[in-house]
Amino acid sequence: MWKFITRRLLITLPQIILLSVLVFIMAQMMPGDALTGLVDPNLDPATIAEQRERLGLNDPWHIQYVNWVGNALQGDLGQSFRFKIDVTDLIGQRLNNTIWLSLLTLIFTYIIAIPLGITSGRYNDTLRDQMITGYTYIGFATPLFIFALVLLWIFGFQLGWFPTGSSVAPGLTRGTFEYYVSRLHHLMLPALSMALITTVNTVQYLRNEIIDTKQKDFILTARAKGASESRVYNRHVFRNSLLPIAALFGFEITGLIGGTVFIETIYSYPGMGLLFMESITQRDYSVVTAVVLLFGIASILGALLSDIILSLVDPRIRIK
Amino acid sequence: MTRRSIPKAFLALMLMLVLVLAGCNDEKEGDSAAEDELISIEDFNQVKTNEGEAIEGGTLNFGLVSDTAFEGTLNYNFYSGNPDVQIIDWFSESLLTMDENYAYTQDGAATFEVDEDNHSITFTINENLNWHDGEPVTAEDWAYAYEVVGHPDYDGVRYTQSLSSVEGMPEYHKGETDEISGIEIIDEKTIKITYHEFTPSLLAGGIWAYPLAKHIFEDIPIEDMASSDAVRTEPIGYGPFKVESIVPGESVTMVKNEDYWRGEPKLDGVTVRVINPNVVVQSLQTGDIDAVSTFPTEQYKDNQDMSNVEFLGGIDTAYTYIGFKLGKIEDGEVVPDPDAKMADVNLRRAMWYAVDNDAVGTKFYDGLRWNATTLTPPSHPDYHDATIEAPTYDPKQANEILDEAGYIDVDEDGFREDQDGNELVINFASMSGGDTAEPIAQYYMQAWKEVGLNVQLLDGRLQEFNTFYDRVEADDPEIDIYQGAWGVGADVDPSGLYGRTAAFNYPRYASEENDRLLKEGLSEEAFDQEYRQEVYSEWQQLMVDEIPVFPTVYRAILIPVNNRVQNYAYNFTTTGVYRYEIAVTQEEPFEADEITPVEEETGEEAAE
Repeated sequence: MWKFITRRLLITLPQIILLSVLVFIMAQMMPGDALTGLVDPNLDPATIAEQRERLGLNDPWHIQYVNWVGNALQGDLGQSFRFKIDVTDLIGQRLNNTIWLSLLTLIFTYIIAIPLGITSGRYNDTLRDQMITGYTYIGFATPLFIFALVLLWIFGFQLGWFPTGSSVAPGLTRGTFEYYVSRLHHLMLPALSMALITTVNTVQYLRNEIIDTKQKDFILTARAKGASESRVYNRHVFRNSLLPIAALFGFEITGLIGGTVFIETIYSYPGMGLLFMESITQRDYSVVTAVVLLFGIASILGALLSDIILSLVDPRIRIK
Repeated sequence: MTRRSIPKAFLALMLMLVLVLAGCNDEKEGDSAAEDELISIEDFNQVKTNEGEAIEGGTLNFGLVSDTAFEGTLNYNFYSGNPDVQIIDWFSESLLTMDENYAYTQDGAATFEVDEDNHSITFTINENLNWHDGEPVTAEDWAYAYEVVGHPDYDGVRYTQSLSSVEGMPEYHKGETDEISGIEIIDEKTIKITYHEFTPSLLAGGIWAYPLAKHIFEDIPIEDMASSDAVRTEPIGYGPFKVESIVPGESVTMVKNEDYWRGEPKLDGVTVRVINPNVVVQSLQTGDIDAVSTFPTEQYKDNQDMSNVEFLGGIDTAYTYIGFKLGKIEDGEVVPDPDAKMADVNLRRAMWYAVDNDAVGTKFYDGLRWNATTLTPPSHPDYHDATIEAPTYDPKQANEILDEAGYIDVDEDGFREDQDGNELVINFASMSGGDTAEPIAQYYMQAWKEVGLNVQLLDGRLQEFNTFYDRVEADDPEIDIYQGAWGVGADVDPSGLYGRTAAFNYPRYASEENDRLLKEGLSEEAFDQEYRQEVYSEWQQLMVDEIPVFPTVYRAILIPVNNRVQNYAYNFTTTGVYRYEIAVTQEEPFEADEITPVEEETGEEAAE
């Protein structure tokens, strides 16, 4: 087991290095830089040229890359030009927000997916199943950003149940009870709108797994032994169907990254996704590379996590 | 499995159809709305109409409209982006105030005396002006701002003309000296600044009037100041409100500064919150916010009847324009190219006559942008010369000019050839961004085609903002003409945009007459305002005659304000209304009768 994990980790390392080179080159290929946006006659072009030189934006990319890797290995991802603070501090602020959002989304995703998947799989081809699969098809077809806007309008503006932006109400003291309640309140709508869309995958997987499993021989055996229908489903079918879902958990994390980019933009929720968008449009290179790298690492680790879970669950795929 | 999937595929198809049809329906609505009567900027008040009786206290919710989080460099001396300055303006201010022409007045926290003979200005800071921590704002603080921003270690972008024109500043900036010879502290509240470039621009926004609290910053190394707590978490100023708490990137809570030098503010406090441009309208309708930093004017038409707000309006200090590439920049100086494709002024004039900018303003901006005539926008009423007759839409005239100038369609393909009978294809660079960018670019090309000019979009598509400016700046030979926009700033002096050595002189235009007028406008005689107006009138006329660029439209700014708010102005710089006077008539904001659905907007800002 440990051998497998170590090997898997060793493969991950060159992946991350390759990713960092790619990210860096692509960031360099983007037209413009952090200072292009400052086309403003009130600013002195000479000052801008000076800052460009100072930031090393005029060096060729491989020199910039070596400098960057050298610093990154020491835990220094550079300074954000726009925010004027260290990228690590900036990401620290934002990562916290995104982790809570992702966590709540995951919880919602499974809360929705498990009962729906089970019902739909157990009673396949009934009206209940058709309604649930209908929902999943709508979910597949609906773009996340449109759905989020609709929810924002209905629950945020029309009904006024949820706040319409930002991560916490202004003016609250950090650490107080009200502060945490307000944060949770601000998280509900973004998390729910993302969960309602992303959950449809899991519902479908679970449904198909259950339909598959319930035709297997050991279920027949269980039935033949006289196990009650609920016991068959809760003990035998459900447990066996859940294994692939658990294995997909890692990929779920990867999927969340894509989702947060939209959700955070729509709800003005300052997390990693919003930071990613902003730093690209404003050409804040040090932040772009750091965030993309972090997303990349999260994806690679997510895949790794899935592989590990899978190998725990299913001994067949272990590398010999 | 296969059999079952058929009804589902059908369901999916139905859903897609529903979406497509919904999309069509939307567009139709848009079309019919555009035919309604026109909106004119003159119909708007600049200052809020006050209704009812103001209450004591209350909190104003200010929406900072931005699709990005604010950076949090909350100090005039360090900020770089627009979102930040919108916050700073609430808790600090320039020591100098301005009139409607953006010229300094004696109404601010500092008054000044100009000594023209010695090229110096003596400033006296108000006795009652204190920082939020109670320390007085001193001449030393003011000088300290110059020492920090001008320092070689300073890593912001605020080192500009207003600092470099101070005597001894360039030497200090290079690190050759430790003192700025042109700055003299006379007493605690008086400072004398001597200038080596002493021009009338100084008195039109050309003075750096943002002191830096020395008692707080002196212990911080200059390169660490912008990231220090004194800028980011506990910013300090001397304005009507003081910062109480900050949620990074999202919101700032402020309370009134009872010690404010103009008098105690009427409001108890202000909350500034970042609002995504997608939901500005809804946030205003629900009363979540009382006022906004900017309002997307293209959304005005659909929301003009919003029942709980009044729209304030003014003319923006900006214009959109079509530029012609006339040369190159070499070693920091413009070198006009007499053989450039657009070198013939008649061709340029004909292209101006060929386009109907009023139609562009009406069709695409509901009248909130309108035909521009000169390169000094009417936002500076005393300098904008409305008597100048600039070409306006007249395709017949355009055809005549082109015929006379020798642009004849020799091979009868519907397009004119140049004077030598060679094929003439003009490459047009235009920026993407917003829903209107594409149709407007298409309209211009169509209008030029009407007079027989073959204008093609560069690479056959719109250019993304950064690419666009990279290529225009680098004098990409593929670009013959381009569409851009300029904000003109406080001072009307155009040398930063059209001077011979200006990096922003993108058309790469230079002429001796132009040099002369730009110089005159900054000469000592031009301290006389009437003389200066004459010079810039002449310059505006020259630009209409020589057409290195032609302005297409001027634009309006609209600011919606909740009906409970009093004494609010569309800007607090030139209207003579100050933030400490803002009051509300009730604790809770008014709500609109109905809330419109949220729509996805594309990044209009990019085009600005």
